[in-house]
Amino acid sequence: MKPIIEIRSLNKSYEDYQVLYNLSLKIWPGELICVIGPSGCGKSTLLNLIGGFVKGDQGEILLNGLLVEKPSRKCIMVFQEFDQLFSWQTVRHNIEFPLKKAPDRLTNQEIRTRVNHYLAMVNLSDFGDYYPNQLSGGMKQRTALARALALSPQLLLMDEPFGSLDAQTKRDLQDTLLKIKEKTRATTVFVTHDIREALYLADRIVVLRAGTVAAVIKNQSRNVSETRVAEITALLSP
Amino acid sequence: MLLAWELTAKLALVNPLAFPSLELIFTALIDSIINGDILLQMLFSLGLIVIGLGIGVVLAFLMSFLSVVSPVFASFTDTCVSIFHPLPGIALLPLIILWIGTGSMAVLFIIVHSVLWPMILNMTAGFKAIPEVYKKIGQNYEFNTFQSILRIFIPASLSYLLAGLKIGWARGWRAAISAEMIFGASGGIGGIGWYIFNKRVFMDTAGVYAGLLIIIAVGIFVEDFVFGKIEKNTINKWGVA
Repeated sequence: MKPIIEIRSLNKSYEDYQVLYNLSLKIWPGELICVIGPSGCGKSTLLNLIGGFVKGDQGEILLNGLLVEKPSRKCIMVFQEFDQLFSWQTVRHNIEFPLKKAPDRLTNQEIRTRVNHYLAMVNLSDFGDYYPNQLSGGMKQRTALARALALSPQLLLMDEPFGSLDAQTKRDLQDTLLKIKEKTRATTVFVTHDIREALYLADRIVVLRAGTVAAVIKNQSRNVSETRVAEITALLSP
Repeated sequence: MLLAWELTAKLALVNPLAFPSLELIFTALIDSIINGDILLQMLFSLGLIVIGLGIGVVLAFLMSFLSVVSPVFASFTDTCVSIFHPLPGIALLPLIILWIGTGSMAVLFIIVHSVLWPMILNMTAGFKAIPEVYKKIGQNYEFNTFQSILRIFIPASLSYLLAGLKIGWARGWRAAISAEMIFGASGGIGGIGWYIFNKRVFMDTAGVYAGLLIIIAVGIFVEDFVFGKIEKNTINKWGVA
């Protein structure tokens, strides 16, 4: 099996500050990878590099064997900000919006079917005609997730998407994400600073420290125990 | 206020030529509406301002678009706005007469000047205020600059654009009426400004007030019904007002 993402000796610095240093990583199809690390360790920078939003100084990132040079519809990002939804469009239109642009060339009926499918997947079927300002934070993030999934990207990037939500909503969304992963087998890179969230969601956990991969932990059991939290916390410490 | 007005007029506290009674004003207004004169002049002025607003908005869009894609053009636009925005259109009249003479074209020029600069100011401010995440989403959807501006920047900055349009309308409306008063009529029709000026020349003060009432009515209509309706159905509904 070929990796969907292959990162080779990636370096990135902002002015004099080296954010990522000689980072290499492979991500396999269908995996949900959680990237964790202390603040400023380069988690979001890594995600932005994979998405093509910023360029690395050295090294390369390959998406299905092709060099990532700029953002594309193959690799869709879900952001932490609630205002990522277009305020002038209803939930339904937010999801439809990217589908209407070539090269998808979907018919109106196909678009409608696809939107309804993903609205149902994120439990928002009854809220299609709502505007973002009428939604709670959790519903906004569900919409953003549906909008990203509707494009059937090769890779889903999620930058602390549940970071600003209350505990209950966060757990609901985590469960939704796991169900979606089960149904769609969408390959996902999920950045979080919450170790428990990583243990609950990830197939593998990538621990970043000092701008490089400090450890890659297999997490098939998804066991969120205090012992495992302590183990990972120890890995994060310098 | 109406009572105070009527008492002042009836008691002849002020020269009736300068301060006619409400009855005279409304009679002049109704007569003018019936014979169609005031409505024709108003339509002429509104036609000019709609054309001027249209040209101003298109130019403002082009300049703001070029400012987004080119930092050099952005600097040029900033300089133009700094120079021309504070300059009243009326101050340009002598030059406008020299360049393009009098008549509707001159009025149109002044309207465009009045609309363009506040519109650019608001459009560029609106574009700058767009959340960074929207720009990233535009890139993620592989929109080119034109698509991003049309499909994301403009709707995302609509509250700024509407504010610019309202300022542009108010400035253009005032400028149009002032210019009409100065340039006069060509072919028997010169707009509501010319109508008022003409009534003053013939000492028809009630007719002057009738013209002012129509201007006020149009102002309220545009503010409450046109802009009010647009705002209600867009930025208020979206919660971005």
